[in-house]
Amino acid sequence: MRRLGRLVAVAFGALAVTGCATMNVSSHVRSGIDFAQYRTYGWGPADALPTGDPRLDKNLFFQDHMLGAVEKQLAARGFEMAAIGTPDLLIHYHASIDRRIDTNRADQAHGYCYEADCQQPEVVNYEAGTLVLDFVDARTNRVIWRGWAQDSLEGVLENQDRMARQINEAVARMLKQLPPRL
Amino acid sequence: MYSPSRWVRFAVLAVSAVALTRCASTDIHSYLERGADLGRYHTYAWGPADAMSTGDPRLDGNPFFAERLQAAVEKQLATRGFEKTSATPGLVLHYHASIAQRVDAYSADLKYGYCNECRPYVYDAGTIVIDLVDAHSSKLVWRGWAEDRFEGAIDNQQLMEKQIDNAVARILQRLPPRL
Repeated sequence: MRRLGRLVAVAFGALAVTGCATMNVSSHVRSGIDFAQYRTYGWGPADALPTGDPRLDKNLFFQDHMLGAVEKQLAARGFEMAAIGTPDLLIHYHASIDRRIDTNRADQAHGYCYEADCQQPEVVNYEAGTLVLDFVDARTNRVIWRGWAQDSLEGVLENQDRMARQINEAVARMLKQLPPRL
Repeated sequence: MYSPSRWVRFAVLAVSAVALTRCASTDIHSYLERGADLGRYHTYAWGPADAMSTGDPRLDGNPFFAERLQAAVEKQLATRGFEKTSATPGLVLHYHASIAQRVDAYSADLKYGYCNECRPYVYDAGTIVIDLVDAHSSKLVWRGWAEDRFEGAIDNQQLMEKQIDNAVARILQRLPPRL
């Protein structure tokens, strides 16, 4: 029985991992905040931190696409871009790239490995991209929510269409984690 | 079927696995300035926030992490008779959190005590450092730190909070008693 449970867990884990590529999405939220109080938003001052990659630093194509994706998702969730006056929320984003290492991924993702993989443990170097979105309460100036998405960027940055798709998926999945507004 | 040397090897592995798993959780250490008497200090205040990067974009400028850590430290210090003050404090507190990727050469080893296919394992190691500085002399009086696998902890807020509380409690347990 326990074995079966484990097998099911592994199968589900494998499904979850392969089903949505390897993108890792999660968030932190301030407790005791009623998200229904926020209706309008505006973009906070642009991020001065380096992205860690010259291809991405001050990349207006990336930036435009990122802003567009967030605005589209927020509109679908009933938020409005503040036309005049102070918005309820200020939104910041930060994109960064790190070189990371991993061992045979198949192994960790599925909990098993094929003969050939198992005998030749392989350490892989890859570029990991992280997108962070911060929602700041404009009145209190405190971050009330932070969401992020991390994924391997192999072959993504070099391909504008893939980059656009990756941003769309990351933003959509991050904002799905926003607490519900009743 | 098994030669004696194989058994010995297995036994050594098993023992070292027990030893390793025991301290595999959180690794806590501290330094104390020679001759320092913590009984002299009654009040503290937080120093300016750390400008160094944590090495992880999820944690950089993350108020949920910072506030939880500060609250945990304040709670622990209160139970030890230290008082937070906005006036001139006896101690100034600093902390630094960082995350780095580590490679473990034989992970199966650590987990099960043996391995059929020993393979390298990559994980995120997190370190939290807490410094107590004499507000008068600006000299470091005490430093304590905790090192742990931070696997998946940032992605799960509750788990992260539990891990912070646990690490801070165990770091500050190492403060010398104040008589």
